[in-house]
Amino acid sequence: MRYIFKFPDIGEGLEEGKIIEWYVDKGSTIQSGDPLVKMETDKVVTDIPSPKSGVIAVRYGGIGDTVKVGSALVEIDIEGINAEAAQRMASEEPKKASTESVDEQGFGGVVGTIEVAGDGAYLPAGDEGISEREQPQARRKALATPVARAMAKDLGIDINQVTGTGPAGRVTKKDIQSFRPSTHAQPALKATPEGSLDRIRIEPLSQIRKTIAKNMLRSKQNTAHMSIMDEVEISELVNARARLNEILAEQSIKLTYLPFIIKAIARALKNHPVMNAELDMENERIIYKNYINLGIAMDTDDGLVVPVIRDADKKSLSELALELKDLMDRARNRKLTLDDLKDGTFSITSYGSIGGYFAVPVIAYPQVAIFGIGKISQKPVIKDNQIAVGNVMPISMSVDHRIVDGAEVSRFVNEVLSYIKEPMLLMV
Amino acid sequence: MFDYKTLDKYNPLLNKAYQLIDDAGKPLDAKWKPGLDKAQILKAYKDLLFERTADLMAVSYQRQGRMFTYPPNLGQEAIHIAAGMVTKEQDWLVPAFRELGAWLAKGVSLREIFLYFKGHEDGSRFQKANRMLPVSVPIASQLVHAAGLGYAINYHKEKDAAVFAYVGDGGTSEGDFHEALNFAAVWNSPVIFVVQNNQFAISVPLKMQTKSLNIAVKGIAYNVPSLLVDGNDFFAMHEALAFARQHAVSGKGPFLIEARTYRAGAHTTSDDPTKYRSKEEEEIWAEKDPLKRLKGYIKHAKLDALKDEEKLIAEFKKHIDSEFEAAEKHPEYPLEDVFAYMYKELPDELKRQKNNYENYLRGAK
Repeated sequence: MRYIFKFPDIGEGLEEGKIIEWYVDKGSTIQSGDPLVKMETDKVVTDIPSPKSGVIAVRYGGIGDTVKVGSALVEIDIEGINAEAAQRMASEEPKKASTESVDEQGFGGVVGTIEVAGDGAYLPAGDEGISEREQPQARRKALATPVARAMAKDLGIDINQVTGTGPAGRVTKKDIQSFRPSTHAQPALKATPEGSLDRIRIEPLSQIRKTIAKNMLRSKQNTAHMSIMDEVEISELVNARARLNEILAEQSIKLTYLPFIIKAIARALKNHPVMNAELDMENERIIYKNYINLGIAMDTDDGLVVPVIRDADKKSLSELALELKDLMDRARNRKLTLDDLKDGTFSITSYGSIGGYFAVPVIAYPQVAIFGIGKISQKPVIKDNQIAVGNVMPISMSVDHRIVDGAEVSRFVNEVLSYIKEPMLLMV
Repeated sequence: MFDYKTLDKYNPLLNKAYQLIDDAGKPLDAKWKPGLDKAQILKAYKDLLFERTADLMAVSYQRQGRMFTYPPNLGQEAIHIAAGMVTKEQDWLVPAFRELGAWLAKGVSLREIFLYFKGHEDGSRFQKANRMLPVSVPIASQLVHAAGLGYAINYHKEKDAAVFAYVGDGGTSEGDFHEALNFAAVWNSPVIFVVQNNQFAISVPLKMQTKSLNIAVKGIAYNVPSLLVDGNDFFAMHEALAFARQHAVSGKGPFLIEARTYRAGAHTTSDDPTKYRSKEEEEIWAEKDPLKRLKGYIKHAKLDALKDEEKLIAEFKKHIDSEFEAAEKHPEYPLEDVFAYMYKELPDELKRQKNNYENYLRGAK
């Protein structure tokens, strides 16, 4: 028999947890009480022990993935239980488990029944503070006798949709006979204009997309975004970079513009600590960070990731170049760890490497600012009262106006651009 | 044996804890002999081992999602086992929530305890435990009830009956603690207040909790005899509790014991102690572990140690599992139960809530 173990609410009202470490692989034998997985939740980091003995048949989620309370963590093939015993167990615990038909895909062609931990077998997050009106109708579990349930099933009616008129709202046979499914109860998808599903395609969100969506919305809902844009002529930087790359060619290091910009920003952050801070509204205070960890937005096949360069102010150009390359490689091969992604204090996005002149980047909340680099191109510029060909880099920066004032942003941008315009200043 | 002279010697203002065995279990005074016989000592050890096994398994059940919450007892068991041996059938047990061994000794079943932490009202409906109050979630409120129970014992002229009331270190900063102490002292209530000072009120360390020299001194102002005891020393706890009970039942009124211990586990399963204390501190206290110390004494005194502890633990586990499974198979309670036991007549607000709930069951919006 197979048992599906769902992530329980181990902290009185949790919604989700993050996988820190797996102790079992597919095929591992496990005893009940042995640890399965280490999870990080809002409240604790803890091992989750297995409620059953058996063999791990399926394992859900990788390290760093967020798992919702109530989603499957593992499936366990329970050993030493013959079909008869399984039957007996299933009938002994009617409220704890239900037998559901399960799509064979992904289950390696299981034959027989699969015991799914029912709603009673894990502890759902508390509903405190949610008014009754907000509770979706479908979640309500109808009270009914087994006879009524069987009848509803035979008629293809979801008994939970039926309003009961019996004692304590029990659904009676009469209620089922007179039930007409309301149009409201139909799934919304059937209501597409053409009334069919072949004009759209539905894909479940990937873990990374869920995280991005959550983070972006959180940022936009919790901060007062303000953006500033500017241009800088970077011919001197172009020359400096070319010269340094000649020298570094021996070490097979190739500098992009990014390490220079990282250095410029790290230097300017020291003079503008509020850009490297965090607003703690709950306690009405600002937390200034005495370290500079720069998040670098990277595009991967799966979506945006923002790994962090720690203590960026203490690293040389070539160290930065090597670290960027390493992070990029690991981002593309999905080898980044949680440690690579956390504790950023300020972020940089070089959207221009793909395209785009100005942008309004979204702050990586709870950071307070993000610096965006647009596409560098040759443009006419005024030099010594003459029109000349210049190398122009556009920049766009967003800040949280709750704690950073406009004048401060302008001063910060001025300083950063002064270093980019004249990289020699970085040596002072 | 402990007497009033000893009590004077351990005036709380001296801040010296009453202690009989060292961290290894060796008696501090070579001439000291326990007032318990060999069988009693071995039973105490077994009970302590059982409490620890059940406690660790309870945490595991909670992590498996089979129980809502649980407050671990790890490291504090000597207090519970000693109290369990001293508490009599006719005594009241007024719990806070972290006294597992004392509850078991009173006759509460593990099944009932598991039911309670699964959120079941039947978990407070003790079948065998006589004179046991249910868990009190608001901190220290139970002490006022204890003072009243002691008053009732006097009022009914009951002989040889006392009240054992428990609270944590954090609870002694609550007004109820002081009211209860004062009331019990004024009315000569036979109450033994047992403060399990496990160093933390959830995450608040004792030194941020009070400026008092220790907790036992808090009894002095109310003229309640008070004693600071090494709570991880089973023998010291047993002597102190037995003396305190004798004091109370002989008409001399309440007694306050501060059992100095350490909560080796989390406050509850929703707490993560690594966030507010250091590994070094935990290691220092691990040296003072009550199970280890009692075992050390048994070895030192050359009592026959348990033959096969592994086997014993395996038997315990089987029993504990069966109690847990029994709790899981317990009939579900009707939700109306949440309204049923607190008030004889429901106040209007609860009537409204009950009515809403009934409408909800009927499917009304």
